[in-house]
Amino acid sequence: MRSLIAIRHLEREDISGILEQAKQMKAAILAGKPVDSGPPRTIGLLFFENSTRTRVSFEQAASYLGFRTVNFSGSGSSMRKGETLKDTILTLKHERLEGVVMRHWCSGSASLAARHFEGPVVNAGDGQHEHPTQALGDALTILERKETIDGLRVAIVGDVAHSRVARSNAWLLHRMGAEVRFVGPRSLIPGHTAKLPGETYYDLRNGISDADVVMCLRLQRERMESGHSVSAGEYRRLYQVNRSTLRAAAPDVMVMHPGPINRGIELDDLTADGHASAISDQVTNGIFVRMAALRWVFSEPRSAPAKKKEANV
Amino acid sequence: MKTLLKNGRLLDPSQDLDTIGSLLIEDAQITQVGPEVELDDATEVYDCEGLWIVPGLVDLHTHLREPGEEHRETIKTGTMAAAAGGFTNICCMPNTTPPLDNPALVDFIMDKASAPDAGGAFVAPVGALTLGQKGETVCDLAALKKAGVVAASDEGGPIQDSAVMLRAMEYCLQIDLPILAHCDDLSLSRAGAMNEGATSAMLGLPGMPRSAEEIMVMRNCLLSLHTGCRIHILRVSTWGAVEMVRQAKYLGAPVTCEICPHHLCLTDEAVGEFNVNFKTTPPLRTQVDIDILLQALGDGTIDCIASDHSPYAPYEVDVPFEEAPFGMSSLESTLGAVLTHVTHKGVLSPLETVRKLSTGPAQILGLEAGTLQPGGTPVAQVTVIDPSLQWTYDVNRTFSKGKNSAFHGASFQGKAVATFCGTEIYRDPLFDETRYQSVLP
Repeated sequence: MRSLIAIRHLEREDISGILEQAKQMKAAILAGKPVDSGPPRTIGLLFFENSTRTRVSFEQAASYLGFRTVNFSGSGSSMRKGETLKDTILTLKHERLEGVVMRHWCSGSASLAARHFEGPVVNAGDGQHEHPTQALGDALTILERKETIDGLRVAIVGDVAHSRVARSNAWLLHRMGAEVRFVGPRSLIPGHTAKLPGETYYDLRNGISDADVVMCLRLQRERMESGHSVSAGEYRRLYQVNRSTLRAAAPDVMVMHPGPINRGIELDDLTADGHASAISDQVTNGIFVRMAALRWVFSEPRSAPAKKKEANV
Repeated sequence: MKTLLKNGRLLDPSQDLDTIGSLLIEDAQITQVGPEVELDDATEVYDCEGLWIVPGLVDLHTHLREPGEEHRETIKTGTMAAAAGGFTNICCMPNTTPPLDNPALVDFIMDKASAPDAGGAFVAPVGALTLGQKGETVCDLAALKKAGVVAASDEGGPIQDSAVMLRAMEYCLQIDLPILAHCDDLSLSRAGAMNEGATSAMLGLPGMPRSAEEIMVMRNCLLSLHTGCRIHILRVSTWGAVEMVRQAKYLGAPVTCEICPHHLCLTDEAVGEFNVNFKTTPPLRTQVDIDILLQALGDGTIDCIASDHSPYAPYEVDVPFEEAPFGMSSLESTLGAVLTHVTHKGVLSPLETVRKLSTGPAQILGLEAGTLQPGGTPVAQVTVIDPSLQWTYDVNRTFSKGKNSAFHGASFQGKAVATFCGTEIYRDPLFDETRYQSVLP
């Protein structure tokens, strides 16, 4: 039993293990064969923040595994009645749930939940910290189009500062040997990146120059409208990934986006729907890596020496 | 009653005294101090060989939480924690519920602090600068001063509007009341949870930029320079803030400043994996800051050390990092942390250490404290320190109700082993009892 809180905490072998398992599970499901799911489990899906796509993906994953899911959503439950996160988690524990999948708006909430649950917790997004299963799904998608992640140039474009997707992807790609680049305006790139595994580019064409993969991030409209970032129009002019700007990238570049897309802002239609786009594969693969992640947290850790807490960049 | 503290190292910055000698407390007053103390009929004797005998420590920055937040601390538990930390004088901050903005509340605090079951340390209340600490209307400060406040402050609710701060300074200048200034530009820091830097970027925690602190230090220094109002900058944490203070002093502004122990020995990396015990305001900064802050402490730019004792109930801190409150319960860790990380590292001499923790802060607010001179204080205020005692700080053994501390489990060298405020108000379990002799019938 273990938790999946952050890609930052994982070793390369953990990541490849989960990805390998996901590949096998995908093959089995597509072939209509049974999957090796281990004993059936009952897990809670605890979403303090609304997220239809991630929750549905976990439900699909659980149902393929033969797991039972119990849904707790942010509204209408005790979570809105002033109960602390600790008490909510303790309640789930004593409801005899065997695992928890949690999304919460606070960075670090997943590790707090894991401490109190004392059983497997899968982080489905904690604030601006990490969203590990998204990164795993993205990695599986890359591996279906590229032979290996090792040595790839990957540009992560957009609101890196506020993105848990960017952090999880950067750590995963770095661990697997890719060259990571963060691309975006100064208002959306952290001012200090010494502890993030990537180089910073403020110019889109430089940033995606010869890139094998371009990952777009979702822009938050509220942030643009409140003046905390460049406007939508300015972003489109300077950072939109489209047919014209993509000429700087490698000829066989693949384009990704975690969704939901602001069409016409981060990406133009042609790119979002074109052959370089892997966006729908990302969604589908999300299910299989979540199956593998659920399987992984309920399995025993390797008998290796204690894992490094603090990852080295 | 004659209490003799015998053969210790007397350290009193108020008279530049650093010598082996003894101190006599007679009927709650210091009557003799020095190498030669004449006495033949002491009723009790503390053998202080190898120990320091210093003026009771003075803290300009304590949150006692009463009234209104008794689940975090009370005047009783807070003063007991003060005594255990070696403090005989503490200044309590006005951001209580309701805030300390009227004379009746000042009376309430002083009554409670002097009650027989309280911890025995003196409590000097600090009044709110504005009504309800809203940063809008300046309080009736003359009335507050008459009731007994020793300063006025916007602690916990830093005044953002410069015109309000200017009016407050003009007012305080007129009635000769110092201002304790909480310097934070909330438009930059409000959403933040820790120092803006590489660690916050890695953890995805919203950052509090150093400029948020420095801008307000600079503004308040300039307002002080131009009005002539005495201000004391509460807990600086960045090299830039200290340079602002240095510049203001050079220009002749009546400005002083303080620093907290945690800003002298911990960096933002200590937050680790979202450990809420390391969430403070201003936040823990970087090693570069620590290096320059230590230097500024040594050269006198930083005038004193304060605890910023900020206790919280356990349930309030067992929450996600971003939702946790700022600060730590620190009255009982301050001296140990300072001796370990400042004095024993050679940054301050023992005498200068006592100046930063006792005589210095007393002089900033003109408190009758911080001296061993007979008659220098209303009653004897003396702390006996064992500078070499090795001990581990354990929040489960503190008097404070707040168990939130970055120092839980830390090893310290040096501790207050006995505290006197009139009479003995604290004796540490680690004090060697064979050193004590009573000849009471």
